[in-house]
Amino acid sequence: MSSVLIKNESRLGLKLVAPAVGIIGLLVIYPILFNIYLSFFDVQLNGTKTFVGMENYTDLLGNPRYYHSIGVSVIYLIGTVIGTTVLGLAAAILMNQEFRFRNLARGLILLPYFAPVISVVFGWQFIFDPVNGIYNHVVVDVLHLTDTRENLIGNPDSALFVVIVFDIWKHFPIAYLLFLAKLQSVPKDLYEAAAIDGQNAWGRFWHVTLPELRFVIATVVLLRVIWNLNRFEDVYLLAPNVETLPIFTYYQAFAGIVDQGVAAAISVIQLLVLVGLIWLYVRKVLKW
Amino acid sequence: MKSKTSLFVAGTMLVNGLLISQLTHAAKVEFWTAQTQTDRLQNIELLASTFEALNDGVTVKVVAVDENEMATQMAAAVAAGTTPQLIEVNSEIIMALGEEGIVDTKTHQGVIKDIGKSRFHKGALTTLASPSGEYYGLPYHGFIQGIWYRKDWFDEKGLAAPNTWENIETAAKELTDKANNQYGILIGTKQDSYTEQVFTQLALSNNASEFDAKGNLVFNSPATLETIKYYKELSKYNPPGPQNWRARDYYLQGKMGMFFYSTYIMDDLALAEVAKGSLSSANFKELSGGTFDPELVKNTAFAPIITHKSAASYGTLSGLVALKTKSAENTKATKDFIEFMYDPASYITFLHMAPGGMNPMLKGIAEDPAYLEDPNGVFKLYGADKMKQIVSGFDDIRSFSVVEGKTFPASGAIFAKSVIPRMIYSVTIEGKDPQAALDDAEAEMKAIMGE
Repeated sequence: MSSVLIKNESRLGLKLVAPAVGIIGLLVIYPILFNIYLSFFDVQLNGTKTFVGMENYTDLLGNPRYYHSIGVSVIYLIGTVIGTTVLGLAAAILMNQEFRFRNLARGLILLPYFAPVISVVFGWQFIFDPVNGIYNHVVVDVLHLTDTRENLIGNPDSALFVVIVFDIWKHFPIAYLLFLAKLQSVPKDLYEAAAIDGQNAWGRFWHVTLPELRFVIATVVLLRVIWNLNRFEDVYLLAPNVETLPIFTYYQAFAGIVDQGVAAAISVIQLLVLVGLIWLYVRKVLKW
Repeated sequence: MKSKTSLFVAGTMLVNGLLISQLTHAAKVEFWTAQTQTDRLQNIELLASTFEALNDGVTVKVVAVDENEMATQMAAAVAAGTTPQLIEVNSEIIMALGEEGIVDTKTHQGVIKDIGKSRFHKGALTTLASPSGEYYGLPYHGFIQGIWYRKDWFDEKGLAAPNTWENIETAAKELTDKANNQYGILIGTKQDSYTEQVFTQLALSNNASEFDAKGNLVFNSPATLETIKYYKELSKYNPPGPQNWRARDYYLQGKMGMFFYSTYIMDDLALAEVAKGSLSSANFKELSGGTFDPELVKNTAFAPIITHKSAASYGTLSGLVALKTKSAENTKATKDFIEFMYDPASYITFLHMAPGGMNPMLKGIAEDPAYLEDPNGVFKLYGADKMKQIVSGFDDIRSFSVVEGKTFPASGAIFAKSVIPRMIYSVTIEGKDPQAALDDAEAEMKAIMGE
């Protein structure tokens, strides 16, 4: 090929890629850079910006509520990521067996994931309503397990765990779906060979299923960490007193007077932490 | 051809000139209202058209502006030189605009003189007064908050009306029976504005305040601390966990003895009665034996004023504000329109948009037979005496943001950041020490004020 042709081709390649690069730059890179820029300013709603240097960051790092929200986020992340992964895996293994009405059961499992958050949240609030809810009715009036009615969603000691259980219930179907897809492609003869080697069900799971699923599990965990570190709507709607990082950001930045500089600072830190975590995870766990 | 064109141009100019001169003599009232719902707007449009029909050459243009947007929209309009002649908005924004020097206090003075100062509820008028005694706005409608309670239960147990701290606590204790899922009172313990409203009324009755008349932050005081401790005590008789206004449903279900609420509850209580009329068990057998209590409206009484160290009612009011304009015709038309809006016929039409929620600021309206004949029949169920008692709360209406007629904008920022509700939540739900919570709240208030 002549050098002119090569040049032309590479020029055409650049032209073809340019729109994509432009769109990504405009929609992803620019907001991130602008956000970093904003985090050094005191921003007012009418657009006035006053340079404050690191003040937004120092204010934030001196706020005990910020550390509290980090702690809450960590518990929330560990609880929900482990919960959805384990439950998703269990459901996938179960649904990979042959039984009657399997297709119906497979479909039903997905329901929590399809249901709109707002309606499901209200459903849960009705269930756990301290005065009229079915939970208290059953526990106190029917089974007489306790004498006092509890507000499980409202009580700060239990609210975080209700939120975790809610998230596991709502989002395990996506993990289940990914695991089931992979399970269906695991060759049957691997299990047969393991059986011949004298492995029982547990052994087959440990030596065949898990290694085969390794990358899917790693992907699910990675996705869940990213999603749940940023998850706002489920937590805020169900129990606004559970202050995970996004909820804390909301209260700081958007409740009442909009404090855009502080909000930018929080999201910059959150972005750095997330990028660091993912880098570590990809290098050490996934070994990509 | 050329002459024809000239004639045409000259003719057009003449006609335009006549029209323009006509227009300059016609008066215009641009009226911004915070009532943005379609049905309410239609109602206000109807009033505007009636006024136009009665006043030749006056045009009234009604514009709906969201209450939260009113301050920004006004700032933009002032900058662009398109200020409306009249607005209807809540008292906090009125006081802020008043401080900006764009309000036509002379027109307000004129209207008050024409109507008669003594006809306005005193507390309502004071809320809109400037430090120098001018009026930044004219009170038009408002809600007040107080304790709604089961009169029949109180009578049965020989309890006194919940109008003092002692009476409230005694009744709350007496009416709580957690084993049977029954609660004495509803006070706000969630981190939202309802909590602040309830706390404010109790704090005001204890002479606690956010600012002194000079604008110094005086929130961290023995009076506030005492109120917080009392609040914590009352919260024991709340339904379990953090609660907000939605828990009023427990009252409607007959599971609660008292609850703090505004007068906006009135049609809820009464409409249940209306619903019962059409859905009685005579027609719908399966409905009999339900939890609905048809006697609830009759058995409910209202204590709008709470007294401890002083008498306090709490409420929010909306007012009419005439803005400065260069045209004398427009000023005159605006004054006429305001007075038309206070005319009993139009006033009552306006207030009936939300019976009970929107209450009159003029004495006598609440007893007017026409007022008591609202389309949904809400007031009939309450009766003239109860209505009179409810609006009497406006004589003592007070809030944190206004001290001796002076408004403190920082109070709005403190409100917006939910400092007080978060303090209450930490004490009542998280069990934090009241003094520690108060210290933290004060520190946050100072941070907001930039100290």
